[in-house]
Amino acid sequence: MNENQEKTTHFGYKTVAENDKASMVADVFHSVAAKYDVMNDLMSFGIHRLWKRQTIASSGVRKGHRVLDLAGGTGDLTAKFSQLVGDTGQVVLGDINSSMLKVGREKLRNLGHVGNIEYVQMNAEALPFPDNSFDLITIAFGLRNVTDKDKALRSMYRILKPGGRLLVLEFSKPEQEILSKAYDFYSFNILPKMGQLVANDSESYQYLAESIRMHPDQETLKDMMEDAGFEQTSYQNLTGGIVALHRGFKY
Amino acid sequence: MLANALLSLVERVVNHVLQLDNSLKDRLAAIADKQLLIEIRDWQQRILCVYSNEQIHLYSTEELSFDCMISADINTLLTLKNPAMLTQLIRQDKLDLQGDLNIAQGFSNAFAELDIDWPEHFSRYIGDAPAQQLWLSLQTLKTRGAQMKGKLEKTLTTLCQDELAVTIHPLELAEFKQQNRQLKSQVSQLEMRVNALLKSC
Repeated sequence: MNENQEKTTHFGYKTVAENDKASMVADVFHSVAAKYDVMNDLMSFGIHRLWKRQTIASSGVRKGHRVLDLAGGTGDLTAKFSQLVGDTGQVVLGDINSSMLKVGREKLRNLGHVGNIEYVQMNAEALPFPDNSFDLITIAFGLRNVTDKDKALRSMYRILKPGGRLLVLEFSKPEQEILSKAYDFYSFNILPKMGQLVANDSESYQYLAESIRMHPDQETLKDMMEDAGFEQTSYQNLTGGIVALHRGFKY
Repeated sequence: MLANALLSLVERVVNHVLQLDNSLKDRLAAIADKQLLIEIRDWQQRILCVYSNEQIHLYSTEELSFDCMISADINTLLTLKNPAMLTQLIRQDKLDLQGDLNIAQGFSNAFAELDIDWPEHFSRYIGDAPAQQLWLSLQTLKTRGAQMKGKLEKTLTTLCQDELAVTIHPLELAEFKQQNRQLKSQVSQLEMRVNALLKSC
């Protein structure tokens, strides 16, 4: 048995070789990229816009800041950050998936957001930037797809400027049992069917539901951020804990 | 999150207003990218207001990053439509202000001078003449509404004063005040006399 076969990770509920996960996740997002925004609105009943709005409200971003929107996908956060940092600031929209990046770039250009946005295909575990180069890093609904989350958090910490902050917006664990059961029913019974109907792809949405369950809960993620070096870490539950916004600073 | 949901609606309305009055953008240009934090004490809410990239951005936030912060209760904030009130309210301790006063005044002035050419905007949908007619009708309606309101207030006052006798007439109040003042003056004189007598004993 060689070393690669020993190292495994989860892909939804499946256990896969660590080296295979990135390409499997990539396949999922290549498949859903074209319908990503429509599906987001449908699946969350539009509430994902409020979750993202809360992220921007917690960002403390201002003119001249340099922002990395990691796993930025179709650029919802980038669009707002681009307006707030102005022409003296810069937003880097980063994603490991070329299809998502392509959709994001097209959408933002059509909306007239040009000039201060850079598009970079990157792996969150090895961010291609010098130390201390960003005032703010956000990763919205992306961390759970990363193979080695600890490595990714350390990489984010490295490129953050002292005084900068990381915001992680991610699905989490509902606070109430009854909400948790309703959410489970919705995720495993309705979501894949919705995916089949709209995007003709039920497997990707089955993976979405499974990957959410495999993602660390609020406290675990907070601990992971502290282990990576972040200080003053905290989180805010949104929609009863279905989603949590984690915040950490580098000093 | 509810506050941010409501603010997203307000933001849409405000940005729509920005499109209706072109001069508003010019007035806001001087305070572009400056962060105004408004703390509404009685609602325990902080609202961040930024004019950037020709758009107003409004967020409910816990952040204390700002160029100017004003803190007051909602009733005081509503009186800020008149920028001249700003310094007066600070003196009365009804309003706290930190940072650059010009930013708060900039926002206040910009919206106080709001002047939307409604007939021009209506004309895009229904043509010039009907737009002008509609605008005149709305103005007439507004004037009549104000007249009706005045009449209603008068009737209600008469009813309360003369018919139901639950309130007094302003003249009666003035007379009562006058008598009060006389009484106060007489009591003062009496007090002085008593004091003089006590000293002489």
